[in-house]
Amino acid sequence: MAEDHYVMGNTAIARGAIESGVRVVAGYPGTPATEIVEDSVGYPGVHVEWSSNEKVAFEIALGASLCHVRSMAVMKHNGTNVVTDFLMHVNFTGVRGGLVLISADDPGGLSSQNEEDTRILVHQYAHIPIFDPSSPQEAKAMVKDAFDLSERTELVFCLRPVTRVCHARGIVVFEDLPEGLPPAHYEPDRNRFIMSGVEMPEFGGLKRPQIRHRWLNDKQNLLREIAEESPYNWIEKTAGKIGIVGCGMGYTFIKEAGQFLEERMPVLKLGTLPLPRKKVREFVDGLEKIIVFEETEPFVEGLLKQLFHEEGIEVEVLGRSGFVPSDGELNVQIVLDTIRRAVPSLRVVQPEVPPLDVYIPIRTRTQCIGCHYRGILHALKRVVRKTKGVVVGDIGCHDAGSFKPMELQSTIYCMGSSIPMATGMRYAGIEVPIFAFIGDSTFYHNGIMGLINAANQKANINIILGENQVTAMTGFQPHPGTGELITGEPTGKVDVQKLAEALGISYRVVNPYDIRDCRKALEESVKEQGVSLVVSAMPCYLLSTRKGRNLFEAREIRFDEKRCNGCMICIQDFGCPAISYIKEKKKISIDPQLCVGCGLCIDVCKRGAIS
Amino acid sequence: MKMDIVISGVGGQGNIFASLVISQFAMKKGYIVAGSETIGAAQRGGSVVSHVRISDKAIYAPLISRGQADLLIGMEVIEMLRHMRLLNPQGAYLLNFMRIPTVLNNMGLDEYPGVEEILEGIRKYCKNGQVIEATLEAHKLGNVQMTNVVLLGALVKMMPFFEMEPVRNLIEELSPERFKEANIKAFERGRELVQ
Repeated sequence: MAEDHYVMGNTAIARGAIESGVRVVAGYPGTPATEIVEDSVGYPGVHVEWSSNEKVAFEIALGASLCHVRSMAVMKHNGTNVVTDFLMHVNFTGVRGGLVLISADDPGGLSSQNEEDTRILVHQYAHIPIFDPSSPQEAKAMVKDAFDLSERTELVFCLRPVTRVCHARGIVVFEDLPEGLPPAHYEPDRNRFIMSGVEMPEFGGLKRPQIRHRWLNDKQNLLREIAEESPYNWIEKTAGKIGIVGCGMGYTFIKEAGQFLEERMPVLKLGTLPLPRKKVREFVDGLEKIIVFEETEPFVEGLLKQLFHEEGIEVEVLGRSGFVPSDGELNVQIVLDTIRRAVPSLRVVQPEVPPLDVYIPIRTRTQCIGCHYRGILHALKRVVRKTKGVVVGDIGCHDAGSFKPMELQSTIYCMGSSIPMATGMRYAGIEVPIFAFIGDSTFYHNGIMGLINAANQKANINIILGENQVTAMTGFQPHPGTGELITGEPTGKVDVQKLAEALGISYRVVNPYDIRDCRKALEESVKEQGVSLVVSAMPCYLLSTRKGRNLFEAREIRFDEKRCNGCMICIQDFGCPAISYIKEKKKISIDPQLCVGCGLCIDVCKRGAIS
Repeated sequence: MKMDIVISGVGGQGNIFASLVISQFAMKKGYIVAGSETIGAAQRGGSVVSHVRISDKAIYAPLISRGQADLLIGMEVIEMLRHMRLLNPQGAYLLNFMRIPTVLNNMGLDEYPGVEEILEGIRKYCKNGQVIEATLEAHKLGNVQMTNVVLLGALVKMMPFFEMEPVRNLIEELSPERFKEANIKAFERGRELVQ
């Protein structure tokens, strides 16, 4: 029985997959996609997992699909980059059971280290069809269609939601769950599923990669027909010579902006790639100009220009190649400002709001108050200052050590790049100590290969593994070092000490709430040759607090103002948000309402002003 | 009928809980509800803003655009100011007068605006509002994390749209068992803070 629920887009996507009879869901946590995997948990007969990385997740999904079972791989855009190699194989073999790839983009980089548009990678490069949803309810419907169409076309189908779909909430209809799913079975089809440069006698000796490429190219005709019939593309006709095109979330902002326009404009809503060519032609008939609103690259804009060129249609196409800002997230204001410029005669009825005459400071991200990363980072800061070393950073909560006030890590790229980059710096020939700082989830994701390589190359580098036993930044998902599955069921965990032994590298474990211990271990590791691993082992503070587990005995922190000389070490080299600098007094102050009594700052102060 | 609400604060203040209570209340009354959350760095003291849109007609965007909010709930002072211009100057605000300095404020590299400057700026922008010390009251009741519930109490007193009984029932329903009783007390306290 259908029922209305007020849920997040991610919940709607998970529900759509479950209603479609998905049996295997695998992903790696990443904002804005995380809840899609979490909300798939708890249905009988459905295996859900946090995989060690996105490529592993996608490969798991294909394994299931080849056994005629529906499967889903879930990731954010960075993960889609990681799976590119596999994507460029599975596109040529196709699938058996419906396989849906969720590639969530984060326009504006609200919670990401880069801004990108994975439609280009998935559609232009891999020739895989995409649904681009405009709302949670539409995302759910698209997922269900994607499973059916994936089976019908034998291709992976991709859903590309953006943050404003994933984290939007709306009323979504939950329908019945399927019953009696068909059993899994596997039979070999080596011509398809062995990807290799082998000669094909039935094709006059042409190599298999070319034949599979031909197969994928042939599929595009079927995909175009599907796009033409799709319920996710439509035209909203009205008089006027200038039309607007809304792709996915772009359509939603157009509709919202429409309430402020005195006259309606013709609208083409697009939700599929490939494009519905006939529908596009029908829409532009009689139009002089169209403006395309899409997240985030001028991708559909380019496809439309190509289409008009091929068909000899003369329509001016404006969009994110410059007329609409080429970076950042769309919003209603951008749509209105763009329409104002394109159609100066059209009246925009938007109430003016007065300016606000108050200065508003920017709030940058930091670690939680009480987080032990601040302890190991502070110890490292001291060692780096003394040795003039360089710290190569990675993704995770500890990355806040690279911002003000600490400014410790010098680089942050993508998951796992810290250790190889540190290795490269070493072989560049710089003569200062080099540190790579990586968290444990990132380490199992992609960092471990860099470690094996560094050990093999005997690179003289120091690696700090922040082992908080969870993927903290995305909301506490388990990983191979947690000892627990997504369902809460216990499992084994990687023994890092044994790993270090196997690699023949030095190993030290420290308590990050003990700054002296951390500093001693770091100083020793600098003196060593080869790879030195320092493991900062302590469960995530925030998660432990939520579970009612104490990591330290909370102390009442006393501050002796007379002893403070305003040196600001506790601010610049430590940066606990409970400590602030009082300009008038040239001294610090500790806010008792914010302080959790972890006591880390006691060891930070050189003058004994904190006790 | 439409009621667009922006709730802005800092991670850990219970912003999302408050937005869920409001949304569920409106849904139970039969309205269409939509919304959005920006929760990127929420757990680490970053800005958190949720938009809740309530209407008897179709809602398109999950985000409220400039000057369209009917109500702005500020759980922290500069976080309210950051989203002030989403508020229709004819609308209303409810501000928890809690100032959480930023990292750069702590370092003495950036100024947190002064009390007078803040209040004057807000009053110049919008005449209709309430400033209460919800965090202080929550602290007195034993837990600053009840700031959100104190604010909900103030909200039902301030806006007749939000009916007391159903909102209280929702708080009870959505609160974890061990916080139920304290949350109801905090909710009642919030009601007393608004004249």
